[in-house]
Amino acid sequence: MMIRRGLATVAAAMSATLVLAACGGEDSKDDKSPVSLRMTVWTANKPHLQLFNDIAAEYMKTHPEVKEIKFDPLPFESYSTALTTQMTGGNAPDLAWVFEKDAADFVSSGALVPLDDTLKQTSGYQYEDLIPSTTKLWKSDDKLYAYPFSTSPFGVFVNRDLLKQAGQQTPDELAKAGKWDWTTVLAEGAEVHRSTGKAGLVIRDFEYKEWSNAATFWGGWKAEPWSADGKTCTFNSTPMVDAMTTLHKGIFEDKAMPGPGETADFFTGDAAMTITQISRASLLENAKFDWDLVPLPAGPAGDYSVIGQAGVGVVKRGGHTKQAKDFLAYFTNPENSAKLAAYFPPPRESQLTAENLAKTNPLLKNEQLESVVVNGVKKGVVKPGHAGQAELAQRVRAGLDPLWTPNANVKGVLDDLCKNISPLLEK
Amino acid sequence: MNRKIPLRTRVALYGLLCVLAIPFVFPTWWMVTSSFKPIADIFSYPPKLFPTNPTFSAYKDVFDGRPFVQQYVNSLYIAALVTAGTMIVSSLAGYAFARIKFRGQNALFLVVLVGLLIPSEVTIVPLFQMFNDLGLVDTHWPLILVPIFGAPSVMATFIMRQFFISLPNELEEAARIDGIGYFGTFWRIALPLAKPALGAVAIFTFLQSWNLYLEPVVYLSSPEMFTLPQALTQYVDSYGGAMWNVQLAAASLTAVPVLVVFVIAQKQFIEGLAHTGLK
Amino acid sequence: MPVSPPTAVADPLKSGSATAGQPPRPPFWTRRRRDQLAGFAFITPQLLGSAVFVLLPIALVFRYSLHEWNVLAGDFSYTGGDNYTQLLDDANLPEVLKSTALFSVGLVVLNLSLALLLAVLLNQKLRGMTVFRTLFFSPVVVSLVAWTIVWGFLLQNNGGINGLLHTVGIDGPNWLRGEGTAMFSVIVVQVFKNVGLNMVLFLAALQGVPKELYEAARVDGAGAWVRFRSITLPLISPTILLTSVITIVGSLQVFAQIAVLTQGGPKLSTTVLVYYLYQQAFQFHHFGYGATLSILLLLIVLALTVLQWQMRKRWVFYES
Repeated sequence: MMIRRGLATVAAAMSATLVLAACGGEDSKDDKSPVSLRMTVWTANKPHLQLFNDIAAEYMKTHPEVKEIKFDPLPFESYSTALTTQMTGGNAPDLAWVFEKDAADFVSSGALVPLDDTLKQTSGYQYEDLIPSTTKLWKSDDKLYAYPFSTSPFGVFVNRDLLKQAGQQTPDELAKAGKWDWTTVLAEGAEVHRSTGKAGLVIRDFEYKEWSNAATFWGGWKAEPWSADGKTCTFNSTPMVDAMTTLHKGIFEDKAMPGPGETADFFTGDAAMTITQISRASLLENAKFDWDLVPLPAGPAGDYSVIGQAGVGVVKRGGHTKQAKDFLAYFTNPENSAKLAAYFPPPRESQLTAENLAKTNPLLKNEQLESVVVNGVKKGVVKPGHAGQAELAQRVRAGLDPLWTPNANVKGVLDDLCKNISPLLEK
Repeated sequence: MNRKIPLRTRVALYGLLCVLAIPFVFPTWWMVTSSFKPIADIFSYPPKLFPTNPTFSAYKDVFDGRPFVQQYVNSLYIAALVTAGTMIVSSLAGYAFARIKFRGQNALFLVVLVGLLIPSEVTIVPLFQMFNDLGLVDTHWPLILVPIFGAPSVMATFIMRQFFISLPNELEEAARIDGIGYFGTFWRIALPLAKPALGAVAIFTFLQSWNLYLEPVVYLSSPEMFTLPQALTQYVDSYGGAMWNVQLAAASLTAVPVLVVFVIAQKQFIEGLAHTGLK
Repeated sequence: MPVSPPTAVADPLKSGSATAGQPPRPPFWTRRRRDQLAGFAFITPQLLGSAVFVLLPIALVFRYSLHEWNVLAGDFSYTGGDNYTQLLDDANLPEVLKSTALFSVGLVVLNLSLALLLAVLLNQKLRGMTVFRTLFFSPVVVSLVAWTIVWGFLLQNNGGINGLLHTVGIDGPNWLRGEGTAMFSVIVVQVFKNVGLNMVLFLAALQGVPKELYEAARVDGAGAWVRFRSITLPLISPTILLTSVITIVGSLQVFAQIAVLTQGGPKLSTTVLVYYLYQQAFQFHHFGYGATLSILLLLIVLALTVLQWQMRKRWVFYES
């Protein structure tokens, strides 16, 4: 739901700016006495925190120079702004999780310190094991600024019961027949809605506002919002127009997806299919229906996959960069990386195997892990992000609004959108 | 004197009132009942009036790992202090503006009234900087001092002034002749007469502080310092998915006591407000 | 900041009276002087508060408006009137001002008419009116955050409102997603939240209208509408003016509801001035420009207030 999110974001943004406005930087204060380290995270999930604390406790046994390691959960929705608040308010954490969409702002700003030297020098770390496609986003000038501890691909969760009830084929059958593609998915979604009244397909958290989640759709057309260098708007390029035209038809003519302002939650059984990150599988623990997890359907441009990432970096203003880097090297070494893989798909080639992931993801079957996670991570395109994300995202949101009406002129709307955001991209 | 209203008109009136009451009552009703629903039922369509499988689990989760009790105490004591402080500041100022003739009175009143017209978004940045310079960020001081002395208390001063203007002056004149001084007149004569207005000011100020949202979010960063409205937005799972039932339970816990107090004291509440001289 | 302790206020006055008692010099502490001192003493806490927490911040905001202030990069540089030039050139601003005006006018009209309607209904001599009065007033005491969130659910395209409309055979619009209906929804949510306040003020005013006037009019054969228009309305006009001032000023400050329900969309249709200001300053980090928009908002509020004050003199059948 976007509703409360709006408020939380508003408030956090506000406080962030205020602190930014009021506070200066803080100098590094590395010294000899034992230090406390603090890592900001956006999970408040107890098993997650338990695992982190166990790893930290183990580390401190052999590292007397660190007397405490605290994992500080900040609210997910307002995480980035809350983090910026702390960093500039003289209360910077030593380590921080960073979203993929903020990577551009964080990596290039000098807020984080480079990690590769420490990681490479840590014995047994196996730095080369990190898959290049997972670290690409977090590098600048060939230096690694954050470790991508979670690389979570988007997949399609399917309510098999609901599909069968609507007389539709299930994705495994479709995949065998080579028909797991967007044309079929939209047709099935439309049929589910027509015959059962429930929703066909939901792009989770999209809600016609968080448009970056629609990348899981237009990826099938190899469409991009802007050029690779971020300078040129490509919302009105042919692939994007084709993708959006199909999406528009799927929503307003076929009714394969809930329209704007309509809610349908897959996890409570109100939708036949949903696109989201695989970490949401935990919500299906007590599901009352037969479900499946499959890769994103193929688009006209073939197979594709989209990933969301989370990095963890050492904050320069946190002050204890040396100890923090050392702990990060321990936190993400092969042994602990394997433990973290229980909740966060790892960036390590050797660990990213279905057998390995299956040990810690009892809800998911081997072939699901293989097809969605392993392949997804290796091939995935990261969700779009750009420097100056907030203003750009807001402009795009407003620019796309006219598209979410039944009689929209897709090309016209996208042309206008490009006209509107080009000045920002060119900056 | 009053004529009897015909039965048909009466029925129509009651019917109209009942229909009109729906949008006022239903949201609160939905909030409270939904807090007893399992999360899947909250979004059922059409909305259910009663929880079919009531559960208290959300209420248990409200306190789970969060300093909700502490946050409740924070909200209560801040609101109490702000209410008391505002009553003092605004009754003093309101009395002076209404009753004492001094040079610059009107000009100063206008100056004070400016506070009534300023959205808090406009001044919050400089205010934040001031408190930050004083090292008072992440303390409750900004939430106490600004409402008592700053813009939020101006409405209270305005109410008090209007009320004192509407009071007959004779008693005070008599008292002043008795030589009990300005403050004595104010404290012993005028203030007791101003109870209805003070009541209204108290209620308003308390509610305003109790529901204050933006300021706590801006000034406070540690969960154990949070106030309730701010705490309400913190109920999310690890992926940012809102724990709706828990949030609604927490929201109900903050709203229901106030509603109950209001229903019990509604007569004083509404009539106090109605007779504040705001007419 | 200390509150002036009561004794500190009273004491100089007492000593003042003592001095005043000494002939033959004309008393220094004349009534006028004492009034002056007491008046200042009484308003000092409020006045200092206003100076520190209202006027000084406004002055600072004005200063910011003359600077380019990028808080992320930490730049703060004097740019003179650049922000004001940008204000005049801002292509979004006309639309924002239009939304603001629409919101304020819509809110005042709806709020005052509904408040008056409810007050007139509740003013009937019927049993159970206290219950209804309590119900209509209750949203005032519910937290704004909770209230808005709940309405957000109800206004979804497949939410409670449309469910209700559906049962009576009406196909409801997509409230929060249509340009017109989004604005309407935001207004209505706000009206239901706060109309109880104005209702109570109107109710008190109505009860202050002498019954004899109605009786007399009735004898003259005036119908209900004529009585309302020619007796009730003029007599409660001070209240109408007061509530409209409070409501209009309040409407220009409405912000959280918009942030929660529509985030200013669709397009810019619900981006009112305060929300636009917030976006520029806090989301996009264009702080200097945000401050400039604050100054604009301030001027609008002041202009409206002065205007209403003038109207008060001219139109309102009034007290002393």
